[in-house]
Amino acid sequence: MHAIQLKNIQKSYGNHEVVKSLSFDVRNGERLVILGPSGCGKSTTLRMIAGLENITDGQLIMGETVMNDVDCGKRNVAMVFQNYSLYPHMSVKKNITYGLAVKRVPKKEINKRLSEVLTMLELNGLENRLPRDLSGGQRQRVALARAIVKQSEYFLLDEPLSNLDAQLRVSARKELVKIHDTFQQTMVYVTHDQVEAMAIGHRIAILNQGELQMIDTPENVYHRPKNTFTAKFIGSPSMNLTECDYHDGCLHFQQQQLKLDNNWVNFLNEKRRGRLIFGFRPEHFTLSYRKENNALQAMVQYVENYGENYGVHLEFESKEFVILSNLKHWIKGDTVYMVPNFERIHLFNKLDGINLDYPNALKENDLPLQLNEAK
Amino acid sequence: MCTMKTKKGMPVFWHVIIISTIIILLFPILFALGMSFKPLKEAYNDTLNFLPIPFTLENYHALFESVDVVKITWNTFVIATIITFFKVVTAFLAAYAFVFLEFKGKKILYFLLIGTMFIPFAATMIPNYLFISKIGLGDNIFGVIFPQLSDAVGIFLIRQSMRSIPISLIEAARLDQIKQRHIMRDIVLPLTRPAITSTGIWFFILAWNEYVWPVLILKSVENYTLPLALQMFISSEGGTNFTVAMAVSVITLIIPLSLYLIFQRYIIGTFASSGIK
Repeated sequence: MHAIQLKNIQKSYGNHEVVKSLSFDVRNGERLVILGPSGCGKSTTLRMIAGLENITDGQLIMGETVMNDVDCGKRNVAMVFQNYSLYPHMSVKKNITYGLAVKRVPKKEINKRLSEVLTMLELNGLENRLPRDLSGGQRQRVALARAIVKQSEYFLLDEPLSNLDAQLRVSARKELVKIHDTFQQTMVYVTHDQVEAMAIGHRIAILNQGELQMIDTPENVYHRPKNTFTAKFIGSPSMNLTECDYHDGCLHFQQQQLKLDNNWVNFLNEKRRGRLIFGFRPEHFTLSYRKENNALQAMVQYVENYGENYGVHLEFESKEFVILSNLKHWIKGDTVYMVPNFERIHLFNKLDGINLDYPNALKENDLPLQLNEAK
Repeated sequence: MCTMKTKKGMPVFWHVIIISTIIILLFPILFALGMSFKPLKEAYNDTLNFLPIPFTLENYHALFESVDVVKITWNTFVIATIITFFKVVTAFLAAYAFVFLEFKGKKILYFLLIGTMFIPFAATMIPNYLFISKIGLGDNIFGVIFPQLSDAVGIFLIRQSMRSIPISLIEAARLDQIKQRHIMRDIVLPLTRPAITSTGIWFFILAWNEYVWPVLILKSVENYTLPLALQMFISSEGGTNFTVAMAVSVITLIIPLSLYLIFQRYIIGTFASSGIK
């Protein structure tokens, strides 16, 4: 078993706390993505797992062993760096095999692994080139090859695709998932790109300011965000959020109100609650020019073209909302109505930003959650 | 735009400057070379003409008869080589520690080391001299070598070049459980070779040309280095036999020059390749 456990892991530089008491598990053979804005401590966390950074406090367990003080070379991890870290004076072949050769792996074995990995990553014919004579995509694959030939139990990647252009990134992440399916190592992948996180991760750990916000499947991270940070951070354009109060079966905004359906009313009546934050994703409400029953009135600000659809920016009680629409005909200054979808709304506590949870009826019908349990 | 301008107007101007600089730089060397093959009398008659007409080897004969040139050149070579070797090795190791290792007092130690660059030779000359004579290395080439086995300048120069190596290269190696000495040999050394070579050549030339310190230590002619031998022929006692002195100069010149020609291809270096993304 090659699981990784972080128990109250903490990291400070002097008085500056970069990672605050972080606890989570990475399951054996799982692809866990650590996602967060820059400076959230995600790379530091990965480097602590790799052993390149000391752990200030807490416990890191890999497999059965406490690894806090184990030298990075003995942790049996393979890592791909953001800048690839290829040795500039060594050929592709030498770059890939150097670690094995120094460790006196038999020549036959080295050559076998080399030819396997060269074929797998389509690097045949480039063996004798220097890194400077390779394209960005090729360098990235060499870095990957160097990590794969080690055949380590743990596979750590620090934003390995961020130096590639958009098209290459998509094909590279597909390749990465394919490789992982072959070798099934325990993989920790750091990125700031939520699309990448969704595409790669079995689970996603979201970090902000050194604290774990949520760790769950991509589906749950998207549909069941644990708090307002996760809600806002995942999804593009991000979730619309605004404050409100609840009483008499209605959400009360500054001037307007929204009558909730029975599921939500029953659910909220049983909950102790103060002021709330109401949220919905741009893709889950629809827009209408006609005054619909129980819809929220807003004014069109401007329309952004996303190609497949349009992002209609609205002013709702001095807040800016976005709703995705397939139609282009929204004109600045027009009054429109946002038609709610009560299966896709979210309510958070104003005080701590924590999700109030969802009515049982919603959860039972929820496809994402069922998917999750099947896994 | 800039290159166009250079192409049109500047070449003549630049060529004049470059050619005159070359002439000014080369003149003393050509002068020494020419004079060393000229009879003394002719040298006095026609001083500024450095073409060796009539050609003679008598200056070299005279030189080889008066002193053991081979021994003296060997002394100089041994001193310069050993000093260069140790200075480069210690500088490389110290620079590696300062760049890639973490230890307590690193900053203060580095500051102190760099501080030694600013201590003038005159200040350490007497203590060093007393020390060397006390341990019985007076009039011995190892007495010349001993106080010069390391140099803060070398640490400084090589450290600068090591700092351009991305730290992640070292980290990648550490993750592969590659030993410190292999990291040095296989990664850091090849990437800093240009800096090491140029620092080495510079150390070699400094040691080769050194005069004051050897003059203090070396007493007998058989232990002399080339600059001291040169002094023998241009001092008041040596008289005015300057064509022989020029022959010594030529011999002094040959080894550093050929070393430079051998190693210069390493100086213009592999540096374009470091820090690849």
